Amino acid sequence: MQKYISQQNLTTLLDILIAQGVRVVAPRMNAGTPLYEPLESAGDMVTDQLPRRSAKEAFFPVCEDIMTYEKEGQKVTVTDIDPARFPETLLFGVRPCDASAIPVLDAVFSWDYKDEFFLERRRKTTIVGLACTTADDACFCTAVGLSPSDTKGSDLFLTPLEGGGYACETFSDKGEALINAHSSLFSVPSGAAALPLAEPQTEKFDLKKVKAWLDEHFEDPLWDGAAVRCVGCGACAFVCPACHCFDIVDEGTEKAGTRRKNWDACGFWKFTHHASGHNPRDGQPKRYRNRIMHKFKYYDDKFGQTLCTGCGRCIRVCPVGIDIAGIVEEISKKQE
Amino acid sequence: MCDHTNKNIYLPYLTTVEEVIDETPDVRTLRLVFQDEKVRDNFSFRAGQFAEYSAFGAGESTFCIASSPTRAGYIECSFRSVGRVTEELRRLEVGDTMGVRGPYGNSYPVESFYGKNLVFVAGGIALPPLRTLIWNCLDLRDKFGDITIVYGARTEADLVYKHELKEWQERSDVRLVKTVDPGGNGPAWDGSVGFVPTILGEAAPSAENTIALVCGPPIMIKFTLPVLEKLGFTDEQVYTTLENRMKCGLGKCGRCNVGNVYVCKDGPVFTAKQLKEMPMEF
Repeated sequence: MQKYISQQNLTTLLDILIAQGVRVVAPRMNAGTPLYEPLESAGDMVTDQLPRRSAKEAFFPVCEDIMTYEKEGQKVTVTDIDPARFPETLLFGVRPCDASAIPVLDAVFSWDYKDEFFLERRRKTTIVGLACTTADDACFCTAVGLSPSDTKGSDLFLTPLEGGGYACETFSDKGEALINAHSSLFSVPSGAAALPLAEPQTEKFDLKKVKAWLDEHFEDPLWDGAAVRCVGCGACAFVCPACHCFDIVDEGTEKAGTRRKNWDACGFWKFTHHASGHNPRDGQPKRYRNRIMHKFKYYDDKFGQTLCTGCGRCIRVCPVGIDIAGIVEEISKKQE
Repeated sequence: MCDHTNKNIYLPYLTTVEEVIDETPDVRTLRLVFQDEKVRDNFSFRAGQFAEYSAFGAGESTFCIASSPTRAGYIECSFRSVGRVTEELRRLEVGDTMGVRGPYGNSYPVESFYGKNLVFVAGGIALPPLRTLIWNCLDLRDKFGDITIVYGARTEADLVYKHELKEWQERSDVRLVKTVDPGGNGPAWDGSVGFVPTILGEAAPSAENTIALVCGPPIMIKFTLPVLEKLGFTDEQVYTTLENRMKCGLGKCGRCNVGNVYVCKDGPVFTAKQLKEMPMEF
């Protein structure tokens, strides 16, 4: 389904949904930082900047309660967290580099054992993607086969038009349902040209070649060079739309508390540290190798997908300037 | 098998500590009984599988299920107190409540061992992942040929399951070779003195129609595999279990992988052949 919506009607749509009790998550400023967060009013939305963190939090929060416990004498009572309590959500204004990571994450959270915390949020969320008109030096979505207008992961996709408003295209029943429920706010496609899209400057990687090289080079001097300066802060994983490693911890007192699933990062030394003191990844280069391998080989081996969408966030936040795009480009060139 | 009907895959079963056994000054075994009668009746697992054990308030730890699947009604775990969770688990007394999630992972292909001789090789705290299988096989004794157990630890005090070692030693249908590292023996020690790989070489079990099951610290594995090879074992005849750090046990949290192999899903039981195909990341 293709439609047009004016800027004013879009604001109206979001305000109606907020008034109806739908959790509308969209980019907004929080103390000077753009983040995907629940809106109180459509007017708070800021779509001209890439949020500092990705949209994965809408399904996979930084910190998530998975149960509570209470102790009395020798007895323990455990209370389940019912995923049914998750609210209906509209995830709006999602950049293609963020939206496209969401179906990639579906694979790991739904294979074999089903993680209902992630999956129930997925079922209850409609994703509205927004074509990207701003790119910076760190962006490289085109290098991993995506684009500023990639609709992967979006139920409804908006493209900003010359002269205002958006071209709307649906990609799922959820997207159509959203338009159908508010049809008076949408009109026939205007035929106006799209605003110029962002143009990331990075050379395209050949992902097949990258994987072919990784298949054969678990041991390689490249790893030492790539990550000798890594300080293991984990920031790259936390801002990444596709990283999904987590820890399970109890937070509370001996009497009562909550078991939580918290974000974790393969860059942390303790991530793989055994109780015996042995650590299979006993150095930052080995941990960084795992990061690259997981993104461009292991996830592909297991699920046939790449765990990187080229959003460039890890490049922007790295305190020591590690450039994943540069490293992957180097790998791509090594495999001739 | 796992309760796939439970929507929250992270929710543990509640168990009651039925027995506490001190194996060494810092290794303890807990016998656990499921509180829910239905779970108690239906919980089943295979030798080699592991579980996530929780001390509420401290968190979860990963250990193998150390008891045999042939012994219904309870499970056992053995652990060394080294961190926050295991120290908390050590504080549990008989009657206390503990959480268990599982069973997870693959298992030993026990049925394919029927009619074969078995050689168990273990070092230190690594006996529990083999003990589950040892009892599994001893409880079905007539299905197997000769059973040899080579077990060693640094010192006499570090040997776990001492009461069972005695039992195995006394059985005529088991050959137990127990050893301690040089200097680890007291005056009354009636076993061998030497490192496990050396003692295994001396015991020289025949490789013919035999499966070897090896579990120990990485350094022991490293020196044991060549000994087995010299005895004529092929890599397909040798099994081991890997014990990487885990959190979810469900193939999601992303830390237990060795290359693209997820120990929690593809393992923890691997043949030496599979082990040799993996990158050196364990």
